[in-house]
Amino acid sequence: MIEPYDWAGGREAMVRFGPGSGPVVIAALPLFEEANRMRGFAATILRLLAENHRIAGVLPELPGTGESLIPSERIAISDLRAGFAAAARTAGGRAYSMALRSGALLDGSVVIRRRWHFAPQPGDALLRMLRRIHRTGDAPGYGGHRLPDTFLDELPDCHVEPARTLRLEGDTRPADRLVPGRALWRGPTPDNDLDLATLLADDLAAWVRMCEA
Amino acid sequence: MLDIETTVRGVLRDVLGLSDERVAAFDETTPLFGALPELDSLAVAGVLTEIEDRLGILIEDDEVDGEMLESFGTLTRFAAQKVLG
Repeated sequence: MIEPYDWAGGREAMVRFGPGSGPVVIAALPLFEEANRMRGFAATILRLLAENHRIAGVLPELPGTGESLIPSERIAISDLRAGFAAAARTAGGRAYSMALRSGALLDGSVVIRRRWHFAPQPGDALLRMLRRIHRTGDAPGYGGHRLPDTFLDELPDCHVEPARTLRLEGDTRPADRLVPGRALWRGPTPDNDLDLATLLADDLAAWVRMCEA
Repeated sequence: MLDIETTVRGVLRDVLGLSDERVAAFDETTPLFGALPELDSLAVAGVLTEIEDRLGILIEDDEVDGEMLESFGTLTRFAAQKVLG
């Protein structure tokens, strides 16, 4: 079900999954091109959470991303974070974040009770990737996105808040759990992985239940 | 070194969309840049960033050249040297 939510800069849309009460998981997609590769995967996790665990979920469009009417030339970290917090408030219930990759830069709001991250990407790593893409010259701007200097300048100082953290096997950074699967955010085309989505939905559900206890 | 090789193999599989069987057959002499059509400039950017992420290293622009990307062996050795300092 698609619903609007209001934030200080206007109105955006969010997709709601599952029951209308109880805890609610707010999804933060990665920024830019990775969002296109991960949107279907994130929706699958939320659908599994709703169908298999009766836990509600929300997938918001954030200001300056996806279907937002705000162009990427005006994107700002503070607006993305404000949009995410507003979506969590609008969703109602006790909000938990599910952030994928650079979505983990956006869930620092106090509205969120606890955080759950999959393969979180800090701001400096996102900036290095954007600059590499920019230098290839394959598309105008940064992989087709025109981004303001103020946004790029902010990224090195954007950190990831403490969270339950899952990563792919083969990743050497600290994690609460390593899971098998492919890096869908890097694939040549958008793809999905039902086994990995099921595993992550089960982990999320158990974690939410533990937090609620 | 074996763990690093496994990580590099996994990164090439994921970024280039290769099958498990195909990357499992990679050995030290398997040619990469110029030999794999999937490995274009955008894919190189993805491979380098994903290796950085998974191994917790930084790769500077002036370290990236044809020799480093010539084969699976040269790329793995480069990554190992960065990890081991």
